[in-house]
Amino acid sequence: MNFKELLKNKEFVFFDGAMGTMLQQKGLQAGAIPEELNVTNPDWLVEIHKAYIENGSDVVYACTFGANAYKLSHSEYDVSTLVKKAVENARIATKGTDALVALDIGPIGQLLEPTGTMTFDEAYDIFKEVVIAGKDADLIVFETMTDLYELKAGVLAAKENSALPIVCTMTFEENMRTFTGVSVSSMALTLEGLGVDAIGINCSLGPKQLEPVVKELSQWTNLPIVVKPNAGLPDPETNLYDVTPEQFGEQMKELVKYGVKVFGGCCGTNPQFIAETVKALSKEKYNPQTAEIPVAVCSATKTVVINCPRIIGERINPTGKKLFKQALIDHNIDYILSQAIEQTTAGAEILDVNVGLPDINETEMMIEVLKAVQGITDVPLQIDTTNPETLEKALRYYNGKPIVNSVNGEEKSLSTVLPLVKKYGACVVGLTLDENGIPKKADERFNIAKKILDRATSLGIDRKNVFVDCLTLTASAEQEGVMETVKALKRAKDELGLKTVLGVSNISFGLPNRELVNSTFLSVALANGLDLPIINPNIASMSGAVRAFRLLSNADKNAEEFIACYGVKTEQPKQTVQLENITLEYAISKGLKSEGAKITANLLENTDSMEIVNSMLIPALDKAGTAFEKGEIFLPQLIQTAGVAQACFEVIKEKLSKSGDTQTSKGKIVIATVKGDIHDIGKNIVKVLLENYGYTVIDLGRDVESEKILKSAVENDVSLVGLSALMTTTLPSMEEAIKLLRENKPDCKIMVGGAVLTPEYAEKIGADFYAKDAKGAVDIAKKVFY
Amino acid sequence: MDEALRYMGFSDKKPDDTFMDMVYEVEKELLLACKPKYTYKIFDVKDISFEKNEVSLKNCNLVLKGKDITNHLKDCNKVAIMACTASAEVDRLMRIYKVCDMTKAVVCDSMASALAEQICDEAQKEITEKINGYTTWRFSCGYGDFPLETQKEISSLLDTPKTIGATVTESYLMTPLKSVTAVFGISDKPVPKKRMGCESCNMRENCKFRKRGERCEF
Repeated sequence: MNFKELLKNKEFVFFDGAMGTMLQQKGLQAGAIPEELNVTNPDWLVEIHKAYIENGSDVVYACTFGANAYKLSHSEYDVSTLVKKAVENARIATKGTDALVALDIGPIGQLLEPTGTMTFDEAYDIFKEVVIAGKDADLIVFETMTDLYELKAGVLAAKENSALPIVCTMTFEENMRTFTGVSVSSMALTLEGLGVDAIGINCSLGPKQLEPVVKELSQWTNLPIVVKPNAGLPDPETNLYDVTPEQFGEQMKELVKYGVKVFGGCCGTNPQFIAETVKALSKEKYNPQTAEIPVAVCSATKTVVINCPRIIGERINPTGKKLFKQALIDHNIDYILSQAIEQTTAGAEILDVNVGLPDINETEMMIEVLKAVQGITDVPLQIDTTNPETLEKALRYYNGKPIVNSVNGEEKSLSTVLPLVKKYGACVVGLTLDENGIPKKADERFNIAKKILDRATSLGIDRKNVFVDCLTLTASAEQEGVMETVKALKRAKDELGLKTVLGVSNISFGLPNRELVNSTFLSVALANGLDLPIINPNIASMSGAVRAFRLLSNADKNAEEFIACYGVKTEQPKQTVQLENITLEYAISKGLKSEGAKITANLLENTDSMEIVNSMLIPALDKAGTAFEKGEIFLPQLIQTAGVAQACFEVIKEKLSKSGDTQTSKGKIVIATVKGDIHDIGKNIVKVLLENYGYTVIDLGRDVESEKILKSAVENDVSLVGLSALMTTTLPSMEEAIKLLRENKPDCKIMVGGAVLTPEYAEKIGADFYAKDAKGAVDIAKKVFY
Repeated sequence: MDEALRYMGFSDKKPDDTFMDMVYEVEKELLLACKPKYTYKIFDVKDISFEKNEVSLKNCNLVLKGKDITNHLKDCNKVAIMACTASAEVDRLMRIYKVCDMTKAVVCDSMASALAEQICDEAQKEITEKINGYTTWRFSCGYGDFPLETQKEISSLLDTPKTIGATVTESYLMTPLKSVTAVFGISDKPVPKKRMGCESCNMRENCKFRKRGERCEF
């Protein structure tokens, strides 16, 4: 019987118990690499596997948990040798029995980006090597995972390099989250989407403490559930666990009601625990979960259930937005991120992400923006692109279950987009248009919706993951079409039972008082069954209409959300500064950001913008810089000053952009924290200050490859590059970057800074300037761009 | 809080109320975000060698190398090895601040450093209460000639990815950023808690405390 048959035919399936615990009893030293025993003490492993099989295990895990290139970097054995030997050892033990061998894959041991430095692709390659070496196993198990992103890399590596069944178990704490914050629902939605064979929970706690986690999981998946708990909790001093094998078996029995199919043990368990579990379950029946799983999308940490209208924020999109376009061209990721934060603060529950612009590499930009947005916000995203290559990469690098925007009724679109939606387990928006354009009548649009749905389900996409967009036309141009959209939407919702999406803001294009038209149309659409309005959530009447509708449609029970949002007067009796009484200089020196912006706006009414910059902002900054040098104010205050100035500059920029003037930059500077270094706060401070003084800063981020620094310096033809490093271990990367720049872009000056640097060392590694702090960096820039 | 303000550069001169309001706001968000965790193991000393300048431990593959750590542990019969983290959520908060408000990012950075030290204090307190003995102060990788590389070995010894969710990068930095590994000795008799001082510190050339005529904890 193979694993899939085992799942189908056996009442319950039993995995094994702990390996590490057993090896320690046999004499494994703390700090040693257990996987090396596959070569040095194979008998130990065979004995342990045999003991588990004799006590009822249907599947034993080969001793490959930490056999990856990262963890074995100091071992005398390579991954392939140890993994192959481990599977062989397990095979020796299963010989003559029906037991199966699992290739056991644990976490790599490095945090992935954004918190760590390992990239998704690096993780993929590490897993791929293990998967290929373990091809003789019967199934692949990923266990003790805490990062959904790492697990996704692993599952893809397994699916793309092997045909073996895949089981995934993650480790949750008592707060129902993993260490990286992954929720149970996010795990279930994402992994089921990726098409794994069974999912579950292992390690961290005993069966009793894990009950709430198992219960939650049962509400989010119809897949077989796997549970491998610890033998209770360990005593930190003696390292002994507090649950006996008998208690363990009894506690495991309590989990049957949640649809658990596969039982096993983790830390602290031994063959006796498995025997007791088998015994305790001997009279029980498998109780599969049949509950309908809600329609939902997620990031790794947040699930949005589409059981009432949910706001999709539309602002991450260059269409018709001059500043956003410029940000894309300038590679100003922070601007895009600020758009994300602004929208989620205003109430967006999902964000649409569109970065398509001629002249930029959409795929690269999409990957970068997706990763960055997921690094700062937990709302799920909607990937908005017409480029199939961009879509595939975005789906690959997204962490969670996203929405794809969009597929349409054209054959070309159906055949390229839907297979990707299936492979990565996303939701998809179907636009009701085809080769003949957008049909005028509701019925024809409905028919296209049906066609898209049929095609999706024929590929194995769950129908609930298909959403329909019946397309908003502009009321000023096609007035008679407005209600056709609403009619089509209502039919798709009522007759096909699908969730509906609509980009609302188009309706008012070319009309005065757009806000009024938009919010009225939004209310009409909501009343006719719109689930996912794509709107500008920063406009109070738009997000307000959705909140009010949720209240009126009885989705917002007891009006809790509505009252929380509008019921309490949030205006605190903050001491208000009388605007007319303060100057711009005062606002800057006191860190009064909004006041500074307001004063600037007032000044702009009758003062030239350059005048404000040169005779007010810059002198105020200079003054703060001098005070900082003299030790009268400290770093946070200097940054605060710069922050106010930045707010003032934003006001000026917006005004200039509206009047069509372009600002003159004082010069472009590339800055980066070098490869290997992840402390970038100093670099960010430098960036703020340089921008204040009118320089265009291209910020490459942290842990940046030397080649990338060179590439950016050449492409932007900059005459100054700033490099930072905080640790002695990363100084060699700085030296390497300087060398590369010197060889390939000799006209470019280089300044360096960071805690471990000294003027002498800066000179030694070949830098032109040593910046002792952010103020120093500005002084250097002034020298270079005189 | 005082410690955090000191990291920011404020010593005797306290910032004004508007600034402090912002600091308290950051503190609130930081405390809400952080999920502090620590883990430790205690080992018996096998051998302290002044010839090889290393300390070896019983039932443990880790050898503590360097003149400074050997000196530090010279009167001890047990060694506690610990790691702590302020959690990945703190890194996330920092990323948000870096986009929205650099001042808060700078303030939060200092406060999170102070927080990590507090978590270490907690752990050390727990160990001290449990063990009958006297303890030295905490010695971290990278102090004096105690190699930063040891950080990776400590991480694998304590299985920090699994126990507290922290890992060490290829360049021996810890992620989440506000994580610490440390070693301290345990002895039956009182041990002098003498500081290393600036002379043996490899940061002395550009230490911001020293420039202001102050001292850090080293």
